[in-house]
Amino acid sequence: MSILETRNVTKTFGGLTAVDDVSVQIPEGSIYSIIGPNGAGKTTLFNCITGFYPSDQGDILFQDKSLIGYSPDRVTKQGISRTYQNIRLFPAMTALENILVGAHPRLKSSWLDAILHTPRQRAEEKKALEKAQELLNFVGLKGKGDLLARNLPYGEQRRLEMARALANEPKIILLDEPTAGMNPNESRAMMRFIENLRDELGITILLIEHDMKVVMGISEFIYVLDFGQLIAKGPPEEIQKNPQVIESYLGRGAV
Amino acid sequence: MKENIKQASRNGALVGVILGFVILFGLTTTLSEILGDLFRLNSNSRTGNTGGLMLIFAIIALWAGSKAAAFDKSSWKTTLISGLMSGLALSVIISALTLLIGTLDAADVEMRDYLVQLNRQAIQFLLYGRSLWVGTLITFGILLVFSIGGGLLAFFLEDRKVGDLVYEKSLSLRDKVLEFTIIKSYQENPRSKWIGYGILLGIVFLFPLFLGRYWNYIMGTIGIYVLMGLGLNIVVGLAGLLDLGYVAFFAIGAYTAGLLTAPAPIPIQIGFWPVLILSIVLAAFAGILLGIPVLRMRGDYLAIVTLGFGEIIRVLIRSDMMTPYLGGPQGVRDIAGPSLFGLALDSERAYLYLIIFGILLTILFTNYLQNSRVGRAWMAMREDETVAQAMGINTLYYKLLAFATGAAFAGLGGALFAARNQYTGPADHTLMVSINVLCLLIVGGMGSVPGVIVGAFVLKGLPEILRELELYRLLVFGGLLVVMMIIRPEGIWPAPRRMMELHEDEGGGLTQAASLVGDEG
Repeated sequence: MSILETRNVTKTFGGLTAVDDVSVQIPEGSIYSIIGPNGAGKTTLFNCITGFYPSDQGDILFQDKSLIGYSPDRVTKQGISRTYQNIRLFPAMTALENILVGAHPRLKSSWLDAILHTPRQRAEEKKALEKAQELLNFVGLKGKGDLLARNLPYGEQRRLEMARALANEPKIILLDEPTAGMNPNESRAMMRFIENLRDELGITILLIEHDMKVVMGISEFIYVLDFGQLIAKGPPEEIQKNPQVIESYLGRGAV
Repeated sequence: MKENIKQASRNGALVGVILGFVILFGLTTTLSEILGDLFRLNSNSRTGNTGGLMLIFAIIALWAGSKAAAFDKSSWKTTLISGLMSGLALSVIISALTLLIGTLDAADVEMRDYLVQLNRQAIQFLLYGRSLWVGTLITFGILLVFSIGGGLLAFFLEDRKVGDLVYEKSLSLRDKVLEFTIIKSYQENPRSKWIGYGILLGIVFLFPLFLGRYWNYIMGTIGIYVLMGLGLNIVVGLAGLLDLGYVAFFAIGAYTAGLLTAPAPIPIQIGFWPVLILSIVLAAFAGILLGIPVLRMRGDYLAIVTLGFGEIIRVLIRSDMMTPYLGGPQGVRDIAGPSLFGLALDSERAYLYLIIFGILLTILFTNYLQNSRVGRAWMAMREDETVAQAMGINTLYYKLLAFATGAAFAGLGGALFAARNQYTGPADHTLMVSINVLCLLIVGGMGSVPGVIVGAFVLKGLPEILRELELYRLLVFGGLLVVMMIIRPEGIWPAPRRMMELHEDEGGGLTQAASLVGDEG
């Protein structure tokens, strides 16, 4: 059964059709990838799913419920987290605070609780802080919780962004180029980390990726986008041999 | 060496030009009076306090000389030459100026037509009551000699030998003080933080008893600005929404309190306490009303729209249309004050206590909000609104909440302000109030509660202290603000986080600030 599904989603900007009639189905507990050349519409599809862009046509279903018309914050509350291609942390907040912001949808205390400093609010804060600390340790940033996010090295910022996404206790997480800018060793570590997310926490994973080693090594199933259109889908072995995919990546006549 | 001489003379010339302007504005006259009074120098009733003037010249030359020598402090010769060059440039410029002024004056040119402060007496003062050449020569001599002295001084103070000595002494003194059993047991006590707060609270509640009527009034004004600063701190400092119409909420608070307790223009008179609550609620409501149309605006656009909102409120108050209801340009008079257990609270001191109580309450609320889910949502919005929303934060709701909270604090300030003055009118609610509150945030340190308090004291208290300077009060005040922002752009008492942002290269500060942040969390 699919946890996330897009049905004929189309998004145009002026005359440009960034996403053209794309349907994908992501089964629960799987690791799926979306690949394609630059400007193929991969990130736009992510933005449509997370409610950042309203899609012009089609339907987006999460656990068989339509997400059409949902604002980004409501989409996130359903249990969909994401990370960004170019890391977008809250730079002047500490690492721990970044994670706590990620936990926002899972906390309940209101402004009145905060002003009155109710026992309920205090208990919730304490628990949230403990959980954030756990997540910090989970991504290997133990002891760095009080550093500003912007002062962390690149790789740690990536992992912090991941921890922030996890704090939302998501059912599915959308990763936009999680290994961008990493060397082969770091990429391999990231792959293991992503597999861990699925195996230990049971989170479904949908990722956009350019690094073919990562894509082929980790994905169970791959969707290929080009000029906004779905040109191929299938398991990694099949995609590797697909002439249309090779053409779109390497140019006409390469086959 | 050549470079050295060039730098030093340029430095001296720069100081000379600035000093020249200061003389032309007549600021030196006022300053010498103050200095002369301070050091009880010879005062001549005919020409004024010329000793003070000499002192000013000496101090400035000393400073210019030591500054000029700072470029190269390798030997006493180079610093001597630097001091000499800087002194020459400085004294030539100033002497030429005095010579020019003196000659023109002798030729009966009325210079007051161009420069108000330059009357005959001031010119005599500039020449120490002596003849043109003698006076000029004295100035020339003082500037040159003290500049050379400054240069030499810079050499002998090289490597901060004196500074280090003082530092070491202070360290050993600190260790000795810390050995006292009282302080030791205080430090080891886990509740020591609370004892510290208790002592601070005691001071805050006791100090109005030692102040006179006038200073209690000034403190009250500062306190009201602290209240408003705390409110705007939430809107601008935490949530990052630049609000230039903040005075509108202050006005709504003041007018709600005024109209509902004064006999005219609306014949409704309710007790002060329910009206106070009502002022806060109405101001918060106005905050939401303003928030709705500007929800999707960011940065500069938001600032302009809120600016317009502030002006709308002020113009409405002044307008003929609203005069029957709001009192028009005359404002609202005979606003009733509060009473507690049948006791009328109508002295400046009583109001100061009321304001202090309000401040303590808002500080408590601000602290709780800041370290909660709500405060984090605001900060996330300030950092990156798009991502904040993607993290599940309902940005529309939290923006309105920030506006409402900030407005509520301003409403409280406005109500207290109106009740204390027993009057409020359109003149109390000009754009300058918004600008002042924003300034105190920037001066004190954005996003920091102690910063707001310090900022309010500097911005509202300093002009009172500077009253000695009379005419030049605001000039000096403006100059101080400019200098301060250059030296300390993060504010006088910034939030620990901001301090890290702007001084990242200082490794020590980083870990220290990190541990401070850790205490907060």
